[in-house]
Amino acid sequence: MSEEVHKTLDIRGVACPMNYVKVLMALEDLKPGERLEAMLDDGKALIDIPRSAKQDGHKVVKVTPEGDAYSVVIEKGGVT
Amino acid sequence: MDTHESDLAVLRSVGIIQQKQKGLFVMRLHAVGGDLKATQLRTIADVALRYGKGKVHLSTRQGMEIHNVRYEDIQQAKQELASAGIQMGACGPRIRIVVACPGSATCRWGLIETKGIARALDKKYFRKVMPHKFKISVTGCPNNCAKATENDAGVMGGVLPRWGGASCIKCDLCLHSCPTEAITREGEKYLLKREDCILCGICIALCPTSSWTAAQKGYTLFIGGTMGKRPRLGTRILDLIGNKQELYALIARVIGYYREHGKARERFGHMIDRLGPDKVIKEIVCE
Repeated sequence: MSEEVHKTLDIRGVACPMNYVKVLMALEDLKPGERLEAMLDDGKALIDIPRSAKQDGHKVVKVTPEGDAYSVVIEKGGVT
Repeated sequence: MDTHESDLAVLRSVGIIQQKQKGLFVMRLHAVGGDLKATQLRTIADVALRYGKGKVHLSTRQGMEIHNVRYEDIQQAKQELASAGIQMGACGPRIRIVVACPGSATCRWGLIETKGIARALDKKYFRKVMPHKFKISVTGCPNNCAKATENDAGVMGGVLPRWGGASCIKCDLCLHSCPTEAITREGEKYLLKREDCILCGICIALCPTSSWTAAQKGYTLFIGGTMGKRPRLGTRILDLIGNKQELYALIARVIGYYREHGKARERFGHMIDRLGPDKVIKEIVCE
């Protein structure tokens, strides 16, 4: 599996649930196994986004703090 | 309508409270964990329309109250409510209706089934006379939606996590999402600082590879929480209590201790501070 990021998304300041809706829309453009990097706020988003992604079969593969925000790399699920 | 003080005291003991308007009363209803059936709501609505002023009030503790009931209508209103299985509440120096969050039955964060515990505690203790009012809450997890730490006795669900390295991809999500920074990373390993862990289970819920799992689940018991004029958060006396029998036995000791040592009109938390939390915890837990 490639570790390259195929798409980036900035959802800082976007409230729940729209921040996750934007993640889902961005993932739609990717193939299973490809990766999306989302920039999100500290706090609730860092719990809600990974939790929803896990429930929908996607996988967080890296979380990196960037100042007051976080870079979260999500691998699209559905690889068979 | 003049009512004798002794009448009023009897009414108060079952949550029927005189309003500032003489002759008008609040009827506090018994709804454990805030649960009522839809059909019961119909009866409550009918009674409120017939004997109140067509309004119900939601209390801060998940209760429902019918206001503005005339003294002479109280018995009839009570009977009609009782026919739908709705009992009166409590007031004064007694154990109040037990509150509870929805718990694991419906909430995705819930670590314990809360409503059954609330009903069991209510069945055993509701309206029992105490030195002062005594409130009990059951909350499903450390999100603490049912405010276990603001009640005289608060039960909270908890889970102790354990990390196993085999499938871990070192994504660091646990490191950054732990609300108390209880997780640290040393090279390729993640470590849990037990004393900082609040047993919330977020690491377990979020981990993309299930490398964090539940080592132990149980109940945490807080005592002595109160709001009011002298607020005080509850003191944690024990966590990861393994089963309901142990939990119930501990709560029985807590209640017995307050009955024995509490002064009239002294809230449990203030009694704990008077005697010293360490001494109280020791005596309750090690009894």
